[in-house]
Amino acid sequence: MKEETLSSILTFVAACFMAGFSLAPFLYMFATSFNASPDYLTGGFNFTLANYNDVLGVKSLHFLDYLRNSLVVSFVSSVATVLLASLAAYAITRLEMKGKAAILLFVLAVSMFPQVSLIGYLFRVMTELDLINTYTALVLPYIAWILPLALWILVSYFAQIPKELDRAAVIDGCTKWQVLFKVLLPVSLPGIFSTALLSFIFAFNEFLFALMLTTDYQSRTIPVGIALFQGLHGETPWGQIMAASTLTTLPILLFTLLFQRHIVQGLTRGAVKG
Amino acid sequence: MRKRLLSGLEPYLFVAPLALFVVLFVFIPILGTVWSSFYSDVTFLERRFSFLQNYGALFSDPGFWKSLRFTLLFISVAVPLELIIGTAFAVVLDLEIPLRGLLRACVLIPWAIPSAISARIWELIYNYSFGLANFLLAKIGPASPPVNWLGTDFGAFAAVTAADVWKTAPFVAIIVLAGLQAVPRDLKLQAKIDRANFAQIFFKVTLPLLKPVLVVALLFRTIDSLRIFDVIYVLTHGGPGGATASVSLYAYKYFLGGDFGYGSAASVALFLVSFSLSCLYVKYSGFTEAAS
Repeated sequence: MKEETLSSILTFVAACFMAGFSLAPFLYMFATSFNASPDYLTGGFNFTLANYNDVLGVKSLHFLDYLRNSLVVSFVSSVATVLLASLAAYAITRLEMKGKAAILLFVLAVSMFPQVSLIGYLFRVMTELDLINTYTALVLPYIAWILPLALWILVSYFAQIPKELDRAAVIDGCTKWQVLFKVLLPVSLPGIFSTALLSFIFAFNEFLFALMLTTDYQSRTIPVGIALFQGLHGETPWGQIMAASTLTTLPILLFTLLFQRHIVQGLTRGAVKG
Repeated sequence: MRKRLLSGLEPYLFVAPLALFVVLFVFIPILGTVWSSFYSDVTFLERRFSFLQNYGALFSDPGFWKSLRFTLLFISVAVPLELIIGTAFAVVLDLEIPLRGLLRACVLIPWAIPSAISARIWELIYNYSFGLANFLLAKIGPASPPVNWLGTDFGAFAAVTAADVWKTAPFVAIIVLAGLQAVPRDLKLQAKIDRANFAQIFFKVTLPLLKPVLVVALLFRTIDSLRIFDVIYVLTHGGPGGATASVSLYAYKYFLGGDFGYGSAASVALFLVSFSLSCLYVKYSGFTEAAS
């Protein structure tokens, strides 16, 4: 009995430590965003909403532009990725074709390339096509970049769905497209959702392509916007940066809390086994 | 006959859009980079074939070797830390505790936030005069002068490593957790009946069974750390004096400066290291069986 209390106390301490380790930087961000000056740890807390006012109200800071760009680019990339990956995953798990393993391995190898070995070429092609600083310049490489992950997750989901289901549909006279869109996709909605969620997170967090292929607020995404954030005056505007970070982070935080199960499932399927 | 041929091709139609995207936006750019690395190719100057000249210049530049050395050193410190912390987290997440889902979500958050944003938070934490790190050191640590985190070689290395470990340990935790959940409960129960304690069960029973998952996590994290960019770009910009410039950052700076030939040569070098590790990964992760 005594041993059990001890171990549950230890577990509790470990759990608290883990939560603290993960969340402490965000608490610091949060506190800084409500302070007039970042030296409040020694100088005393000085509550203000001015940072939020600036970030949301001052047009020349472009916070809302960056956020909108990020949302549009990530949403389009994620939807397109899931669509293209489900087509391919369907063929790989359900249809007879040669080279399935080769496709999966090729795509896997591709996903491990360093981004820096693509950006020089992409920058030049996008410049040539006059696409620099447009959503298109980001969406196209993002889709290609996230597809491997999406394909692996979806292949693993589709493989779990009993084949009798689509055989029955074929007997009822469904075409391959109907089998995919009317039978397979509806049954694997949780898998589709996990994949879309992970694809969205990947696109939302991407940095190097966005840094290289955008030039200003018309298409710059929020990670690059915050990394290059310039205040209205000379010195680093910590309060505003942290207010912008808080506004960006809070929705992700809520999403992670709500959908952690889906995220975990997607990650596990994408990384551990097919 | 014709119909059969067509239906034989149909599966490939389903794969074609995906293949097209990957080839156009990943595969061809890689080939283009390799191609470009054989040219003297600087903005506003005439482009001319120079064969291995860029590589010659690259391999004789101490800056390149410095960045390679930093990247490898970073990997050899950060990745083991990530694996140890990640595994420890996974063990706790595997226990039957209240609010397990909430804890799992908390641990996931650092991974889900864009690294550029969390790196900005870390930049403030490491601030010399009013950052959290020096404040805590002054409060609880021995009386010592504040640490110049981002301005000294060692401080910058530690800062980058800590920020990266904080962000990626959760990823390892999630993967290892999946491995832990695959360990048969009976096995642990049997060990318990045999009066093995928690540590004995973990090191003698669980850990050996986790080996495949840990190898996958190790290779995956190594390949990913090899291309580290965002955290360093924001935190140190490679400084002080190139002490924390990763190979990605080194190459990026040449692209930014308009020297595409040389930048390409540097990224091809990184690509080759990364590609050989990927081959190892594919070989050891059981992907080959999973794929067939």
